[in-house]
Amino acid sequence: MTQPVISVNELTVEFVTRRGTLRALDKVSFDVARGEVLGVVGESGAGKSVTGSAIIGLIDPPGRIAGGEVLLSGARVDNLPPEAMRKIRGKRIGMIFQDPLTSLNPLYRVGEQLIETIQTHTDLNAADARKRAIALLDEVGIPAPERRIDGYPHEFSGGMRQRVVIALALCAEPEFIIADEPTTALDVSVQAQIIALIKRLCKERGTSVMLVTHDMGVIAETADRVAVMYAGRVAEIGPVRDVVKQPLHPYAVGLMGAIPSIEGDAERLVQIPGSMPRLSNIPKGCAFNPRCSKAFARCFVERPELIDVGGRQVACHLYDQSKAPTGQSPTDKAEIAA
Amino acid sequence: MSDEPLPVIPPSRLARFWDSDLVYSFRSSPVTVVASVMAFLLVLAAIFAPLIAPYDPFDPASLDLSDGFSRPMQPNEITGKVFWLGSDGQGRDIFSAILYGSRVSLLVGAASVVFSLILGVGLGLVAGYVGGRTEALIMRIADIQLSFPAILVALLVFGVARGLIPPAAQEQATLLVLVIAIGLANWAQYARTVRGSTLVEKNKVYVDAARLIGLKAWPVMLKHVLPNVAGPVLVIATINLALAVIEEATLSFLGVGMPPTQPSLGTLIRFGQQYLFSGEWWILLFPSLVLILLALSINLFGDWLRDALNPKLR
Amino acid sequence: MTQDVSKAPFVQVRDLKRVFDVSKPWLNRVIESAPKQYLKAVDGVSFDIRKGETFALVGESGSGKSTVARMVVGLLPPSGGTVSIDGVSMTDAAAAQERQRLRRRIQMIFQDPYASLNPRWRVGRIIAEPIRAFDIIQGDREIEGRVGELLSLVGLHPDDGKKFPHEFSGGQRQRIAIARALASNAEFIVCDEPTSALDVSVQAQILNLMRDLQQKFGLTYLFISHNLAVVRHMASRIGVMYLGRLVEVSEGKQLFSAPRHPYTKMLLDAVPDLAMVGKAREGVKGEIPNPISPPSGCTFHPRCPLVFDRCRVENPPVIDGVACHAVNQGRAAA
Repeated sequence: MTQPVISVNELTVEFVTRRGTLRALDKVSFDVARGEVLGVVGESGAGKSVTGSAIIGLIDPPGRIAGGEVLLSGARVDNLPPEAMRKIRGKRIGMIFQDPLTSLNPLYRVGEQLIETIQTHTDLNAADARKRAIALLDEVGIPAPERRIDGYPHEFSGGMRQRVVIALALCAEPEFIIADEPTTALDVSVQAQIIALIKRLCKERGTSVMLVTHDMGVIAETADRVAVMYAGRVAEIGPVRDVVKQPLHPYAVGLMGAIPSIEGDAERLVQIPGSMPRLSNIPKGCAFNPRCSKAFARCFVERPELIDVGGRQVACHLYDQSKAPTGQSPTDKAEIAA
Repeated sequence: MSDEPLPVIPPSRLARFWDSDLVYSFRSSPVTVVASVMAFLLVLAAIFAPLIAPYDPFDPASLDLSDGFSRPMQPNEITGKVFWLGSDGQGRDIFSAILYGSRVSLLVGAASVVFSLILGVGLGLVAGYVGGRTEALIMRIADIQLSFPAILVALLVFGVARGLIPPAAQEQATLLVLVIAIGLANWAQYARTVRGSTLVEKNKVYVDAARLIGLKAWPVMLKHVLPNVAGPVLVIATINLALAVIEEATLSFLGVGMPPTQPSLGTLIRFGQQYLFSGEWWILLFPSLVLILLALSINLFGDWLRDALNPKLR
Repeated sequence: MTQDVSKAPFVQVRDLKRVFDVSKPWLNRVIESAPKQYLKAVDGVSFDIRKGETFALVGESGSGKSTVARMVVGLLPPSGGTVSIDGVSMTDAAAAQERQRLRRRIQMIFQDPYASLNPRWRVGRIIAEPIRAFDIIQGDREIEGRVGELLSLVGLHPDDGKKFPHEFSGGQRQRIAIARALASNAEFIVCDEPTSALDVSVQAQILNLMRDLQQKFGLTYLFISHNLAVVRHMASRIGVMYLGRLVEVSEGKQLFSAPRHPYTKMLLDAVPDLAMVGKAREGVKGEIPNPISPPSGCTFHPRCPLVFDRCRVENPPVIDGVACHAVNQGRAAA
């Protein structure tokens, strides 16, 4: 069995505030295999961006990693000193953010930033680094790269800038790329191009990608597997086709039904009542229990663990064969409530 | 939905207030607490000066030249009276003079702040909301105003007022002239801040929503925009209060402020500095200390308020 | 009301234009000897909206759809063209009095629920503002009762009127904004990207609510969105905009089953969609040009697969719902 590029085990991130400790991530576990695109989807506050930040060690105080571990190709990286982590970022883990303007320094030419990054992570001399930068720009689909390399970021359109950022992330040939809402700031027609680009690069280079987004459509097109997050926990994780077409977790079912499609003919969208709980107010047991139509006694007392159900993992008591709802004694809950 | 209702006891109004972020940030800053207690006490003392002061420093009948130059906390060599902070050449009690003096100082300061606030906020709101030439005109005047030192503007206004008001009425009018002079020297800062915030607020869609129901410009400005630009204004007003008190003191020190019959802290300091080298240090020292404490404590409170109301610094 | 009036379109937009002056400040222009620059945000848009229907304008950023919305409700004066609602001109200065009476019947729901409610006002006061402004109900207690009704109508609790906007989530705020729009018994509501700031599950709640209210009160919507899937779900007719021009107007589902304008086809190809899982798609080329210096002729011609000489010089008129030379000449049989 091959080793996963990234392996996240029971990762827990907490934010300490004066009103108490907020748990932004609560025992999140998943693997990303070599060459795989893992989509991480969830609504705002689900913890998807925090997951990315935690993997690259960019959780700022008052936040802290309170438990669990992150393995990069089998070696633990979550407890590395900041200096060692800084070397891994950019070299072994690349990053693509939502707003390309924040990743590019407006005062430097695009080429300077690329060459600097290449030289930081490789032994190439200036001329070779420049050649490589041009090759990279060409690879991400920037026309006339030998000319555009000397342009400033503001001379590029939004889509072209995002391509530059992708080139920047690829500079050191990282094994793993975290793309945090890479297409959210872009127009639909440009978005499609960037999705296609990420997919192609992944395939050609064998790079693994963690694609964080709120847009299920983007995930559906890009990802191989998808993790649906809710209130800092993974609700369901599995091959994208299964999760999209036949979600198992009641939250995933609601989420897929809530998304209007350009095909299909739902007159009325499925709607999940209520909204995601605030981090300060996550219910006991399963975090989804107040909004779940299928919740039963056990859901209010015991947090469901991820269990294997036909090739994917679901954190829902409904799928726990050993203790199905009918077999459960209803008195358990009454005792605890009292 | 959860059939496990948690017995939630709503906290009392006072408890919620005590737990609010604003009060918490106040509580957790000892400097701010000390400064605001100090400012509060000084203001209280000024307001209740007639009740607290042991002597009436402005009643010529109660003044006795034999009480002159009493040292602080020591019985007068001739009359045996004790003046806590000493007395001046005319036998006036320094402590009482300071109480009455800070009353005048704070009155001028507060009134001029209110004056510049109304002027500056009004002009800034109009400039930001109306835009175009009106905005350009108001903001250029503000720029010109800001390029002169405030004290120079105040001196200028004061000089003009002197020329316009008949000499007989001048003494009574001094307070009003000072308020206008200091107020005119400080309005531009409000106008700039308010214009900036107004530009931000007027592009928020709640303003559009108000315009959609046919509200005219003035109601939109006053009911919708003004409450949302008030935060920074409050901060500037607090810090400007300290500044206005100092400006008043400077003017009075230069001899163009409050007359000796109604001395402010600045007037007292002007008198006091004559005695600095002849040994009667207390006549200068105590009014100056009070002025410093007053300005410092108000300023520290204003600094905290600025940080507390600025969400970016949290 | 006579038969004729009910047959006439409720909202009539004709040749609507809006130009923005995007020049640098005067001093910079003099020093750099740069000419004034103008942006044609909306360039000759015409459409009708029938009573009780949802007409959607869809387009990417810079297409001018929001500018159209603001001109229709009268928040922005047009540079040219006319808007009339129920026979009353929104653009003619002479109709000012009638327009003031019409205002009650037109409301708007905005994109950003965090900016559309005055943060210093309690929710009850926000919803009551139109009621008071149009003097619809008199008496504080009666108004309070109506506010409670409106809050229940949009799925909130009547007591929520005592709270401030910051105590609500984005979806709840959008419900409050809808309650405010209904407060003056509006008949025509312009919705400018009403759900694009919301999470999908909340978006579904709001879209369902809007449909329910439309059925209940016979509302007419002008629905602005960049999201084709949302538009498909909501609209009875759809107009597609590109760089300030309307390129295609079509009955709702037909736009998706049989798109005609090449831009519409490209857009439909580009949308990431759940239905697309595992499918390959055709490549999309190019980006939206700078609207300050748009391409000549048909503004889509640099990206268009059907381009020919005429497209580069002549702006195609809207004929039979499509503004495309190739379609009109029957060259786009596919």
